[in-house]
Amino acid sequence: METKIKSIIARLADKDIQFADVRISITDNESISFNNGHLRNYGSSHGSPAIGIRVLMNGCWGFAGSKDLSPTSVDRLIARAKSNAMQGSLFLKEKVSFPALSPTVAEYHHQPEINPFTMAKEEKMDYLGKLALAIAPHGKIVHSYVSGEFMRQEKYYANTEGSYSHTSFYNTLPIMMVVAADSGQVQSRTWPGHMSAGRAGFELFYEQQFAENTDRIIKEATDLLTAPVISEERADIIIGNGHLALQLHESVGHATEADRIFGMEISYAGKTFVRPEMLGNYQYGSPIVNIYSDSTDPKGLGYHPMDDEGVPGRKMDIIRDGILVDQQTSRHIAHMLGLQPSSNMKGSYADDMPLVRMTNLCLSPGKGSLAELIKATENGYYLDFTKTWSIDDNRNNFQFTTEIGYKIKDGEIVGIVKEPTYFGITKDFWNACDAICGDEEWGYYSTFHCGKGEPGQIMQLSHGVAPARFKNINISVKM
Amino acid sequence: MYEQLQYLKLALEKHPELKYSIIQRSWQTDFLRFYHSQTNYNISKDNINLSADLYLNKKSFSFSIDDPTEAKIDAALQNAFSIIDSLPEDPDFVDVEDDLSLVESRQITNNIEALSLQHKTEILSSLAQSAAQYDFELYGTFICNYSSYRLMNSNNLDKSSATSPIYLEIKAVHNKTQLTVMETFGGDDFRYFDLEDFRSRLIKKIEFCDNAVVDVEPGTYDVILAPRCVAEFVQYLSYGMSARALDQHSSYFDGKIDQQVFPSHVSIIDDPSDPEMIRMDYGSGGHIYQPLKLVDKGFFRSFMCNQYYHYKTGLPKNGNTASCLKIAPGTDSVDELIGKVKKGLYISSLHYMNFINPKETSLTGLTRDGTFLIEDGKISKVVMNLRFTERIERILKHIVALENRAYTIPFSENYESFDISTVKAPHALVNGFNITSSTNTI
Repeated sequence: METKIKSIIARLADKDIQFADVRISITDNESISFNNGHLRNYGSSHGSPAIGIRVLMNGCWGFAGSKDLSPTSVDRLIARAKSNAMQGSLFLKEKVSFPALSPTVAEYHHQPEINPFTMAKEEKMDYLGKLALAIAPHGKIVHSYVSGEFMRQEKYYANTEGSYSHTSFYNTLPIMMVVAADSGQVQSRTWPGHMSAGRAGFELFYEQQFAENTDRIIKEATDLLTAPVISEERADIIIGNGHLALQLHESVGHATEADRIFGMEISYAGKTFVRPEMLGNYQYGSPIVNIYSDSTDPKGLGYHPMDDEGVPGRKMDIIRDGILVDQQTSRHIAHMLGLQPSSNMKGSYADDMPLVRMTNLCLSPGKGSLAELIKATENGYYLDFTKTWSIDDNRNNFQFTTEIGYKIKDGEIVGIVKEPTYFGITKDFWNACDAICGDEEWGYYSTFHCGKGEPGQIMQLSHGVAPARFKNINISVKM
Repeated sequence: MYEQLQYLKLALEKHPELKYSIIQRSWQTDFLRFYHSQTNYNISKDNINLSADLYLNKKSFSFSIDDPTEAKIDAALQNAFSIIDSLPEDPDFVDVEDDLSLVESRQITNNIEALSLQHKTEILSSLAQSAAQYDFELYGTFICNYSSYRLMNSNNLDKSSATSPIYLEIKAVHNKTQLTVMETFGGDDFRYFDLEDFRSRLIKKIEFCDNAVVDVEPGTYDVILAPRCVAEFVQYLSYGMSARALDQHSSYFDGKIDQQVFPSHVSIIDDPSDPEMIRMDYGSGGHIYQPLKLVDKGFFRSFMCNQYYHYKTGLPKNGNTASCLKIAPGTDSVDELIGKVKKGLYISSLHYMNFINPKETSLTGLTRDGTFLIEDGKISKVVMNLRFTERIERILKHIVALENRAYTIPFSENYESFDISTVKAPHALVNGFNITSSTNTI
């Protein structure tokens, strides 16, 4: 494949082409799901190929992608990418340009502890089947779901500057859920929340202690049926990792994708309230808030030695001591902003046009354990496990509902509440952060399902977080 | 054209103990994305995929092959045969689809070929010039897809279909204030696109932005929901009209068949035959897609149900998937609807909706692409984007009047797969719409 991709790049070394890159990916997917204790789906897709060719001609991008890697297809894709760029350049006011980078060569191959594609099928089905039976409908549990999604992707990248990379990795997404119902009420609980993916194989089910938490989610879903709703208008809230990752994702991650500043995502994902002139002076959060993008950490799903336009992986501050200091960029956008490219250009598969994407976007840890933080909270709620999420076009006004809230009084958890809902404005919210737990609580929480771009792409990425407390948050929304 | 499908079918016929459903799809897109009234990028993509659902009594296994070849099919079958007998059973599975009825064939134009990139950019250039007079620039997408498939199964079902949807979405954004309005076209017949009518509707919305920008307090408001909003609320509501939601105890319509759930002027039908929309030949599992009354004069009439849930729930099977929803128009013009509002809001579009509790149809979301204040029956000011927290069932119950015309509204499905569908809906006047906060932004 290395020979193939380099031979295609050689054909794109043309004086009319300012820049070109080629990606080839080979992907294995497997998904297994149980409904109500019974196997509902076992599906697989092995060796799925994809190729994408991107050219910059006359200051305009043209792209063509396919699942067909044959020589005939490659000829067609090269011609199509070129014609797309040339035709697009007829409807263009400002040409795309960016400085050249020195060529880089990279190789990385991840190996999971338990390869989900080659492990004994009996072990896999036995483990998942037992989980499914443990949470199968009984009592007030009326529906249950257990699922594992496994992915292996091998990727080749080459560009006309001479950069080349060959990488492979395994990602896994495990989830289980129960739904309880009684007297017209319906409540649900998942484990371990919606950010449960990891750069791992089947061992993730063991690490995340699925079997140890079946009774907990059954009890909590059942108890939620008769739990009260929050009565206060405002309160201090501690957000657990299972949900804080999404809070970070929506109100910082997407907001600091710089393609949104220039309106490149208006038609679907939206804009951002962030403006270039805010860099270096905008008080995004309180002084204890430090947020960074790190595509150099192989423990997260966002790791890469080189992004999808040849920029080596980087660790860089986005918010330092509460101040917005940088952005997630492409080479083109970084050039427009006068920044160094941040190594955030990624396409889900090789036949997807790369976009500005989060990689491993992390909240730096503070000090202390979650137990200590709860102990230090006089009145409030500990919220975790995302149920509903929504944020506006400019990433400014968000509203979240979690599956469960734990009421805190005088430093102790004294009960639960159902459908706790809070909302806020991004800047106000992050400036209300007065405590972040320490290293012992910090970890990666990851998703398979970050949607962006048109045609739509679903990105796999990670957030490093530790539980944090936010003061005097609006929890007044009631249904 | 479907050699790989035939090869797979021949291989499976050697295993009479198996039931199966197999499908080969071919898909391509030409995708122009623009911003600041210029090209962002042009994308061409294509794919051929073969997928199979195999059943050994009540045990099942599925596989999917991109760019299928005989060697890949052989390998996938070998893997399937090595697994399937060791799997646990799904007691609810009975059979694959057995509806063999066929639609009348119709001519499908490949709009990727019919609507060239040059023609698309000419249209966009022309509209950009009109918007520039108001200091607005254009952002959006102009997409043509072409896809075809052939579906076969062990009940001798053999069906083919093709579709070529077009999606034009233009957002006009003011260069200084960021005020945004949107106009769209969608369908599978570009002869319904009238450039001058499209331009006129876009410019009318741009001209609304000439008013002052204000914020409003949280509270309940009488609102005029634009057709896109009505369409999107009904799309979300249709989740609960599926037998799957009913089976999972998350349907609002549980126990409500033939009961009045909405006012008598609310009717919703899933209709695949409207030529102004993107049409559908076959639905879930290959069942013929036919008009299905979901809500008729306020009464809930049908759950959408495929073969699997037909056997599991006992509901009548129809194969509908809410892909062609139509909300019946009413009797008022849009100006008459606005004229009925003493003080309220005109909401053009919605953003980032998500259910809080699907059984209760409670959800939150935001307004987008033009929210306006109505005072004394006239649009008077621009309003910041707003957050609402509502129940869709309550919104529909509070529809006072509907416009006497319905519009085709395209939606692009960008999650998991890329598809385009249309909904037909009129403007609606709704009382007591619950605004819960402001975004402080446009």
